[in-house]
Amino acid sequence: MMSSVDLSVLSAAVLACLMVGTLHLRLNLWMYGATTMCIALATALTAQTHAEINLICVALLIAVLKAAGIPLFLLWTSEKLNVHRDVGAMIPPPLAMHLSIGLLALSFILTRGLPAPEMAATGWYGAAAGISLLFTGLVVMLTRRLAIGQILGFLVIENGIYVFALTQTLGMPLLVEMGVLLDMLVGVMFSGLLVFRIQKSFEHIDVAQLTSLKE
Amino acid sequence: MSDANVHLLRSCAHWILFVSCVALVPPLCLGIIRKTKARLQNRVGPPLLQPLFDIFKLCRKGETLSSTMSGAFRISTVVVLATMLVLAWMTPWLSFKPWSPNADLFLIVYLFALARVFSLLGALDSGSAFGAFGASREVTLGLLVEPALLLGLVALGLFSGTSDLRLIFAYHQIQAPGASCIPGIWLLVGVSILLSSLVELSRMPVDDPTTHLELTMVHEAMVLEASGRNLALIEFSHALRMSIFFGLAAQCFVHAAAAVWRMNALTHGLLNIFGICLIAVSVGVLESLSVKLQWRKVPEFVAYVVSMSLLAAFVAAGSGVAKL
Repeated sequence: MMSSVDLSVLSAAVLACLMVGTLHLRLNLWMYGATTMCIALATALTAQTHAEINLICVALLIAVLKAAGIPLFLLWTSEKLNVHRDVGAMIPPPLAMHLSIGLLALSFILTRGLPAPEMAATGWYGAAAGISLLFTGLVVMLTRRLAIGQILGFLVIENGIYVFALTQTLGMPLLVEMGVLLDMLVGVMFSGLLVFRIQKSFEHIDVAQLTSLKE
Repeated sequence: MSDANVHLLRSCAHWILFVSCVALVPPLCLGIIRKTKARLQNRVGPPLLQPLFDIFKLCRKGETLSSTMSGAFRISTVVVLATMLVLAWMTPWLSFKPWSPNADLFLIVYLFALARVFSLLGALDSGSAFGAFGASREVTLGLLVEPALLLGLVALGLFSGTSDLRLIFAYHQIQAPGASCIPGIWLLVGVSILLSSLVELSRMPVDDPTTHLELTMVHEAMVLEASGRNLALIEFSHALRMSIFFGLAAQCFVHAAAAVWRMNALTHGLLNIFGICLIAVSVGVLESLSVKLQWRKVPEFVAYVVSMSLLAAFVAAGSGVAKL
């Protein structure tokens, strides 16, 4: 039977898949926020079943910093740089969305072979959702040309790793969680600044054209 | 009274109920959409059954035919209406229905395609350039949305192990194993059918049915040359097609609810009609709030509809694996 943690984690995976289908940056960022909110909800529900106060703090931090803070920061960055739509590369976004839904199905097949941990909070739904988020992040990184799209893909991959860790263990220590969260925040800040630098020196943030040198 | 008599009475009652639904629900759907839009624009709006009165009015009017028309124009209208009536009889868009033959899902989807082909013939035969415009757009939309609709229905078939829509939409396989994903599948397919009906009927996010700007409209461009009784029949078949789609979507949602709460047949029927009205209201709200998509963006919208069906198909396939 599906638990509510499974349900929220799976809805995060599905939302991430649907995010791939559009190149509109603002919509992408809002959908990333919704995905992360689902993950925060899953964390809070896990905390409730395990009666751990640490996880509640982590859930709150995720909701405030990751689900609201990072999208708002990236939104501000894109407003400053005056970019609203990604250009898209290789695969058109609708097909990329169908591809990532196919990968969602594939990750269910993959997780069937995994040994299920005895004491874990949830069964293989969580693992499947985590692996699918990883795949989706890869698809996003492959199909976006703007630096902000690349950051978005990286964030989705990070979400996948977090979901996998959350559902396959009894909950990590608060310190580890905070460390990962902090690392990622700093990473996003740095990449945001880097995007500004790229824009300044190249007059665009198209990563496909960064290979050519500029005097 | 003997059993045979009771049976006869029951089937008579079913038929009367069904025929009155086929006659009343389509104009009511259109009326509800128009009323909702009017209320949202602070107008009183026409009465709910105004589309029905319009059809009667059109029937009394004379008809003008272009000199370039052949017989195909007249035949197309009749064929479309007949196909729609057959579809209304066979498709399980109402939960109370008289006896009907096997309704294979592929047959249903391609009967819709047949109706589309004949309405295209009518539009092309009228000889007006706008008719051809509309026909070309209608073909594009039909081409885009057909996989979504088919895939959604196939997902349901995969899950129930049959391609007969009558059996798929019968309320008796609720205690199947892998029951936890039933509401999910029904909800996904319901959303997919609802969104694909918006494309199929060329309603708001894809096309604005009230613009009457010949350069953008789809369905209205196709019926531009029709008048009088012909127009009445075309309008009625379009409304019937709309209510069949809305009814299918509403049935999906009712099934999703029935998998969670136990209900009897009367509640199913009432919820079904209520669902159709609710969908009509939400379409009206959507049409007042949203803007028309650029024609280039329509495939993106359809891609989302296809992904709903894809998800449903994967869940159905997964639950099939879990059952084994």
